[in-house]
Amino acid sequence: MKKTIKEVIIILVISIVAGFTANALSPKGIGLVGDYSERFAIDSASSKTGDKPAQKQRTKEGFIKPVNITVEDAKKFYDEGMLFIDGRDAAEYSQGHIKGAINIPYKEFMALTPEQKAERMKDIPKDRKIVSYCGGGDCEISIDNAYEFARIGYEDVGIYLGGLLEWKAKGYPTN
Amino acid sequence: MKNFISGRFFQIALRLIVGGLFLYASLGKLFNQEAFARAIYNYKFLPDAFINILAIVLPYVEFFSAVFLIFGIFRKGSSFLIGVMLIVFIIALSRAYALGLDISCGCFSLETVSEKSDILSRIIQDILLLAGCALIYFNPGRKKDFSENNITKENQ
Repeated sequence: MKKTIKEVIIILVISIVAGFTANALSPKGIGLVGDYSERFAIDSASSKTGDKPAQKQRTKEGFIKPVNITVEDAKKFYDEGMLFIDGRDAAEYSQGHIKGAINIPYKEFMALTPEQKAERMKDIPKDRKIVSYCGGGDCEISIDNAYEFARIGYEDVGIYLGGLLEWKAKGYPTN
Repeated sequence: MKNFISGRFFQIALRLIVGGLFLYASLGKLFNQEAFARAIYNYKFLPDAFINILAIVLPYVEFFSAVFLIFGIFRKGSSFLIGVMLIVFIIALSRAYALGLDISCGCFSLETVSEKSDILSRIIQDILLLAGCALIYFNPGRKKDFSENNITKENQ
């Protein structure tokens, strides 16, 4: 066992040194602690003002950051005729979705090139307000999809984290 | 059976399979820390503060353990580490499977684990690898070392 521990320590030390060196050199390197809380935080700007669009923030990559919205905002935007995009698979979408929502499955969409993505969404003007959603609960593709939309130039993208689950629970329209 | 398990060729074959798979698995992650961190995040298994450190170090632990195992250097240490990683993977995958993390909406951005059936087959694959790892670590043929040591100690 002593031999095992000694060898384990040697391998771990080599790995730690190599790992941190590679991370420092890699263009896809990351910070020691990532900020993952932001992913689910509701953007106060949008939820407080409601009728005003949240202050537009740009990401490091340069596109306009999608904002997380509450169910109240989602309903309000829905009534205003904002475009809802369901990011789940076609099969899940066909079993029920927010009324009037279109389906852009994230799994298929993410695999496209930026040109193909733009082509896929060519009928939607870039200044159109979009709300991205998915199943709700543990579902994260609403976020991933929203960032894909923002990346190809959509400037007003909301992420409705509550998703279909919360929408249905509120008794809002589905089909 | 014992002779077969501790047989030179069987042990080398085991090391090549287990080490080879780990080496292969680590290669895509060595310089893609960002994507790997996201993949770990999606498992909802770790506190956020540990995600990035794991994403930075784990691929290299996999890589060096695999390389050492293949070449038969630090055989005990490398098979032990791979075994521990496999146990953690099995727990994380089982948990993801039980929680149905991917079923409702395809949350995993990691393309390799995207369907429920994929998760199950990965769990089975990891259990088989763990068995292989145990056969390398507890190689009954290598107990000779201990008895030899004992003899020399007794002689002294």
